[in-house]
Amino acid sequence: MSNHRALQMFGRSGNPALNADTFGNSVKPSPSGIQSTSSDTMTLEGTVNKTGILLALVVLSASWTWNMFFESGNPATVMPIAFGGAIVGFILALVTIFKKQWAGTTAPLYAIAEGLFLGAISGIFEMQYPGIVIQAVGLTLGTLASLLFLYKTGIVKPTENFRLMITSATMGIGLLYLVSMLMNMFGSGGIGFIHSNGLFGIGFSLFVVAIAALNLVLDFDFIEQGSEMNAPKYMEWFGAFSLMVTLIWLYLEMLRLLAKLRSR
Amino acid sequence: MDANTLIFGSMTVISLAIFFYLGQFKASTKQTERDDRISWSERNFSIGKILLYSLVLIGGIVLVSQFL
Repeated sequence: MSNHRALQMFGRSGNPALNADTFGNSVKPSPSGIQSTSSDTMTLEGTVNKTGILLALVVLSASWTWNMFFESGNPATVMPIAFGGAIVGFILALVTIFKKQWAGTTAPLYAIAEGLFLGAISGIFEMQYPGIVIQAVGLTLGTLASLLFLYKTGIVKPTENFRLMITSATMGIGLLYLVSMLMNMFGSGGIGFIHSNGLFGIGFSLFVVAIAALNLVLDFDFIEQGSEMNAPKYMEWFGAFSLMVTLIWLYLEMLRLLAKLRSR
Repeated sequence: MDANTLIFGSMTVISLAIFFYLGQFKASTKQTERDDRISWSERNFSIGKILLYSLVLIGGIVLVSQFL
C-alpha cells in the first residue's frame, strides 16, 4: 500500500505535471480576428465529459478485481494483478506527464490500470471493515463537489503562494512515503506514525487528506485557465487525467483514514 | 439496503451530479478577474524552494511525532 502511494506521489500530475511548461508549449495563440472553435480547443464541458469517461473506466476495471477477490476470498489471487496495475499505472502517468499529446490514449489506459489496483485494495479493506468503501467513495466525491463549488464561486482563491505551499506539502508527503517504503524494504518497519491508529497517526492522515483535497483546487484552476487560453484539444484529456490522479490519491487516503478510525 | 449505504450512496450520486453540472460553467468573475491568479505558463518559484519547504515540513512532522 505505502509502495503504491509513493508511486502515486511521484507520478501524480496534480502538481508535478502542472508545471511551467503545462501551457507553455501547447497554447495556440488566437490570431486577431480569427475565432477559435471548441472543436479544436480545450473546453470545460469536454474536460468534464472526459473525466466522466475516466471515472467509468476506473469503476469498470475495479469491479473486475473486486469480484475476483470476493469470489476467491483470498488476497493472494488479486495481489499480482493489483500491483501490476499500480506499476503500469505509474509508468503511464509518467508518459502522460512528459507526452501530454498522448493523453488521449494514455489517460484511459492509466484509468484502467489504476482501477485494477483500486478494486483489489478496496476489496481487502471492505472485507476487514464492512461498509468502508462506500464511505470513502462518498467522502471523496463529496469533497470534489464541495471544493468545485467553493472554487467556482470564488470563495477559495488559489494564488502563487497557495500553489507553492500545496506543491511543497505534496512533495514532503511523497518523500515521507518514499523513505517509509525504503525502510520497509530494508526490514526496519517503516515510519511508525504514518500507519499508526493513534492520535498522531490520525492527525497525519487528516493532514494528508486536506493536502490531497486542496490539490483539487489547483486542478480546477489549471482546467479553467486551459479553457480560457484556448489550449489544444488533447489538454482536455490531460486535465481529466490530472483530476483523476488527485481523486485516486484522495480516495486511498480516505480509505486509510477511515480504516485507522475504525481500528481503534 | 442499510443506512450506511443509503447515506453515502446518496452522497456519491448527488456529488457526481453537482460535479457534472457545475463543472461545465465558467468560474465567477471573482475568481477569474483578479491580479493574483496562478500563471500556469510560468514558474514563479524554483524547485529548490519547493524542496526546501518540503524538507522543513518533514522535519516539523518528525519533530512533532517525537513529542506525542
